[in-house]
Amino acid sequence: MTTTERAYTGKKGKNQSSKQPSTVQKPRKIQRSPGWRILVTAALAVAAVYFLFPVYWLTIAATKSTSSLFGSSGLALDNPQLLTNLVNVVTYNGGIFGRWALNSVLYSGVGAVVATICSLAAGYCLAKFTFRGREVWFNIILAGVMIPGTALALPLFLLMSQVGLVNTYWSVLLPSLVSPFGVYLGRIYAQAAVPDSLLEASRLDGAGEFRIFFTLVLRLMMPAAVTIFLFQFIGIWNNFFLPLVMLSDQSLYPITLGLVQWQSVSDRHPELYQLAIGGAFLSVIPIMIAIVSLQRFWKAGLTEGSVKG
Amino acid sequence: MKRIRTIAAVVAVAAVFATTACTSTPPGSSSDPSEKANLTFWSWVPGVDKAVDLWNKENPNIQVKLEQTPAGSSGTYAKMYSALKAGKGAPDLAQIEYQELPGFVLENGLVDLKPLGMGVESSKFVDWQLGQSTFGDSVYAVPQASGPMGLYYREDIFSALGLKAPATWDEYAVAAKTIHDANPAQYINTFAPGNSAWFTALAWQAGAKWFGLDGDTWTVNIDSDTTLKVASYWDKLREAGLIKTEPDFANGWYSDLQNGNIVAWPSAQWGGSILSGNAPTTAGKWKVAPLPQWDSTYASANWGGSSTAVLKGTSNAQAAEKFAVWLNTDPQSISLLLAGGYGWPAAKNALAGSTLDKPEEFLGGQNANKDVFKKSDESINTSWGWIPTTANTYTHLNDGFQAAVEGHGTFVDAVKAAQTATIADLEAKGLKVRAGD
Repeated sequence: MTTTERAYTGKKGKNQSSKQPSTVQKPRKIQRSPGWRILVTAALAVAAVYFLFPVYWLTIAATKSTSSLFGSSGLALDNPQLLTNLVNVVTYNGGIFGRWALNSVLYSGVGAVVATICSLAAGYCLAKFTFRGREVWFNIILAGVMIPGTALALPLFLLMSQVGLVNTYWSVLLPSLVSPFGVYLGRIYAQAAVPDSLLEASRLDGAGEFRIFFTLVLRLMMPAAVTIFLFQFIGIWNNFFLPLVMLSDQSLYPITLGLVQWQSVSDRHPELYQLAIGGAFLSVIPIMIAIVSLQRFWKAGLTEGSVKG
Repeated sequence: MKRIRTIAAVVAVAAVFATTACTSTPPGSSSDPSEKANLTFWSWVPGVDKAVDLWNKENPNIQVKLEQTPAGSSGTYAKMYSALKAGKGAPDLAQIEYQELPGFVLENGLVDLKPLGMGVESSKFVDWQLGQSTFGDSVYAVPQASGPMGLYYREDIFSALGLKAPATWDEYAVAAKTIHDANPAQYINTFAPGNSAWFTALAWQAGAKWFGLDGDTWTVNIDSDTTLKVASYWDKLREAGLIKTEPDFANGWYSDLQNGNIVAWPSAQWGGSILSGNAPTTAGKWKVAPLPQWDSTYASANWGGSSTAVLKGTSNAQAAEKFAVWLNTDPQSISLLLAGGYGWPAAKNALAGSTLDKPEEFLGGQNANKDVFKKSDESINTSWGWIPTTANTYTHLNDGFQAAVEGHGTFVDAVKAAQTATIADLEAKGLKVRAGD
């Protein structure tokens, strides 16, 4: 959450200072003493090592055979056979891993896109329209941010069970379509990034509210959209408990649940240990791609100069 | 909320005893075998998919849809309880480990199979395993597999030191010292503080009987002299520094097995596939001996065991019972499950002629199943039972063992603490409990 807020406040600063349309702003150089810079760089380096270490371990472990997984140091290569391992992962049990991967993409992709649009629309409404009970609604949604998804899984199961949706795609997809945090972010972003004067101008020009939202507001709110999309995508991708509670048919599993299923019987079948690690390695790749390809939207300014400041 | 749950638990117990008293036919059962049935089955046993395929081919009228779930304790049991509570979404059949059966019976979640045919079929199963699924006059599951125990040991290292396989636990302690003295890096085994199921099996072997059901009162006798004797035995080895106390089924332990730093493992029959799978370089160096003994009469124990149960709410209990019995007694099904490594069959006389009855290369050509595990299976104390809160008891023991390993208290203390905590667990569920036999 802090990253987002930082990204967001950074944007606000730029909005005020910039006049140039759609060019990437160079951050203003702030002169600090060399000692300070070394300190900051060192702290960042430590943080980077801390976060990258598990990824390093996973990468190394994914190259090992079952016996050298335990028989050799976890930090050094030992007869690497990454390709063999990955082929085993995707062919085991009739290629079920591919099915799980597609399911994960479906749950995360559809869930994140719909949740993003809903959050932005709700956030924009809460920011720019006055209606009775606006703050009450907002506070109720805000309270939703505080309730962990795990705590809701069982009540959701009972609900889904009543309507007969347990063990279907819908049982995982429907709860993924909402994001209280997204609404919160959408509101504070819309408050700052969507100028009232622009909305007034559009209305005077005769644009309807839906048109204003879909053609204008969505674009202005693109950095927030990317943030919400990424958070939701990663949240659904890594979610384990909800699918665990809802699904029992292996062909509906996302990767997380499938890997746990492999790992949980690996004491009888040690080769599944290696397959679970290989599967985990494959499953972080799409997340990396999503982050790397979308993070530039956080940096790029989209609204600079659209309204005379 | 808590009050409501307590009342619910009491009602559930009453219901259990009510069904025990009058063997009523379970709801939703149909006795016409030619009728079509579609059943779902939750299981995580490797190889069970092949057995189900075979059944479906041979029985076009009763089609079983297998849903492979994560292992029970990894979340599937919790899911079964939620589904039972919701009244919808539970499978017709499910894999349930022996120690979890009382919990499901208490929640009134299982169909009594005795009137459906298990009463007649029960002679097909090993007595003590049938006992695991029998409560009062009812049979709530079809026994599937178990883990009779033996001692896996590195024959090469033992004989280099002039040691034979220890026949008694005293000899085992002497061997532990000889091994560690000869090479300070080597230990006879690890006492895994996080795996109290293993310790439970060793207490079982010594003749302890932790749990029982006397009328409607659960009995808890964890801190008996027998169990304390076993705990104090391992305390002495630990204090003398002759055993390791690292977790089993973990990287360090696998590594120690590979490089010969751990040279023995009192384990179940299924332990062989764990050794051969994770320490393939030690092939041919292992042998299996009977578990070391406390007394002159040979006693063994079981570690791990599982059954096939029919859940309340099933669309066709009769068809489900028929499948469950077939799955666990048909020779073809058993050999498919054996190939998947499900453990030791619960069906009688399953060894002769099966894939189990052959020399194993990993054990240097020994036929351990015939030499050791057959006798082990026949010598398991049949009266051992479990309670609805077994998983909590394991946790209490794990906590105490971990504390002892870190220098706070002893294994004996852990056993005593688990006794008190277990009684509290059962009372919290609103059940009648007393200490002792």
